[in-house]
Amino acid sequence: MVNFKLKYILSFLFSALMIGITSAQNAEISPQRKQAIDSLALEKVRDLSKYIAIIGNKKTPFSEASRVMDRAEELFTPGSEMGVSSLKRKEISYFKVRKYFERLMALNYDRVTIEWYDIHYISDLERQPDGRYVGIVTIYQKFEGTSDDGMKYKDTTKKDITIYVERKKTQIQGRIIEFWDVLLGDIRVTETSA
Amino acid sequence: MFNKKSLLLTGYFIFHLTFLSQAQIVSDKIDETKLYAESKQVNQFFRRFNGEEDEKGNRYYPTDKQYRTVKLRKKYLSILFDGSNGGMSDAVKNEFVKTVLDKPETSILEFHGKNWFSEVQTFFTSNGKDQPITLFMELEKDHLGSKWVIYKAHADMYKPYFLRDTTKVGRFLHPMSHELDFMNLRKAFSNTDSISQFTVKRFMPDHLSLLLYDLKKGNLVFKSVDQMKFHFFQIDGWYFEISEFNRPGYNTGWLISNLVKLKDKSDKEVLLKYLLYETR
Repeated sequence: MVNFKLKYILSFLFSALMIGITSAQNAEISPQRKQAIDSLALEKVRDLSKYIAIIGNKKTPFSEASRVMDRAEELFTPGSEMGVSSLKRKEISYFKVRKYFERLMALNYDRVTIEWYDIHYISDLERQPDGRYVGIVTIYQKFEGTSDDGMKYKDTTKKDITIYVERKKTQIQGRIIEFWDVLLGDIRVTETSA
Repeated sequence: MFNKKSLLLTGYFIFHLTFLSQAQIVSDKIDETKLYAESKQVNQFFRRFNGEEDEKGNRYYPTDKQYRTVKLRKKYLSILFDGSNGGMSDAVKNEFVKTVLDKPETSILEFHGKNWFSEVQTFFTSNGKDQPITLFMELEKDHLGSKWVIYKAHADMYKPYFLRDTTKVGRFLHPMSHELDFMNLRKAFSNTDSISQFTVKRFMPDHLSLLLYDLKKGNLVFKSVDQMKFHFFQIDGWYFEISEFNRPGYNTGWLISNLVKLKDKSDKEVLLKYLLYETR
């Protein structure tokens, strides 16, 4: 878990070095810093996509899926939820992130394929009352589940993922270093007609 | 003219995106250009309207050459209308686009610029029955940032409690009631069907207060968000509404679903009252 977090810290420190850290004391986010934050947010979203594909894969052993669910959960702020609706059922169903993963794992298909479109859209960052920044990353996922008897289910969903951006401090070799951290939040999942 | 132009521009947009997406198509070659064309977030609607991003959705900043250029805005404006809405004539759309492009500096949508709000259709449950309730929300500054807040609500379920017929004489407290220490209030309140008749003519029931009361008393439980749209009065002399369109094709996502030219300030007030259910 420490390594996991360190990966993002180091990854972002690298980005921060690339763009200069002169505005670290400034609450405003410069375009360069926004780009670095976007990259970090996308990296987390890609990790989530990867984890979802592993959890959804029928060949993944339960113990491995369970471990990946733990990892995936660490990407999120506590209490994050998925709000899911489909073309047939417009009403939003709400699931805690862990529950959503468990449902995905328990889907009754013999083969599941989850693919992600390369397209993504990242919103501006807005500051919320507690000083943290919030933004939305939109991605698209194609899901295909097939049963041995040939029954097939396909959908394409749009996922609007909340990202929280917060300035944090860490100590590396006795030096206090400030960095911007990104955590995922609520996700709205809508089936698209695309 | 508007149709021809928007077709050409959509074609131009698709042409560029086709090239752009060649390496980005998933295994069964589903066309990603549609997803690029879609105004995927309200945020993207703002940026496109203002000419603040490229066709891939990368943001332009004030230092970028393309930032808010008339050429870019013209290109985007043509694809930001719901093409299936016959209620918005090409003439009105063209006039709106012209207004925006003639005064590009003052025709910018501002996220924190007031004069826009959200209308959210929700469902609450009361005694096991779904009750549709509309929430009107706006952005409010608070501490270090901002937040969405509910500033008004409307629920049909509350309407029967406030109905009154002002054309009839009906029941009233006579003008000398004060000399009796308003002892006749007892009679006024004894029949709950007619109590609305004793309120001032200008009385407007506040559904938000009732909603909060019912939620706190446990009479209502939130169920789900159904739909939402946004109303804009930020462009001088115009009102428009945006809604999300989830359908096949390129004319999708957040698009202008209603457009009205406002003659004067009173037009705006009348429309605003209508939107907020104050005249319905």
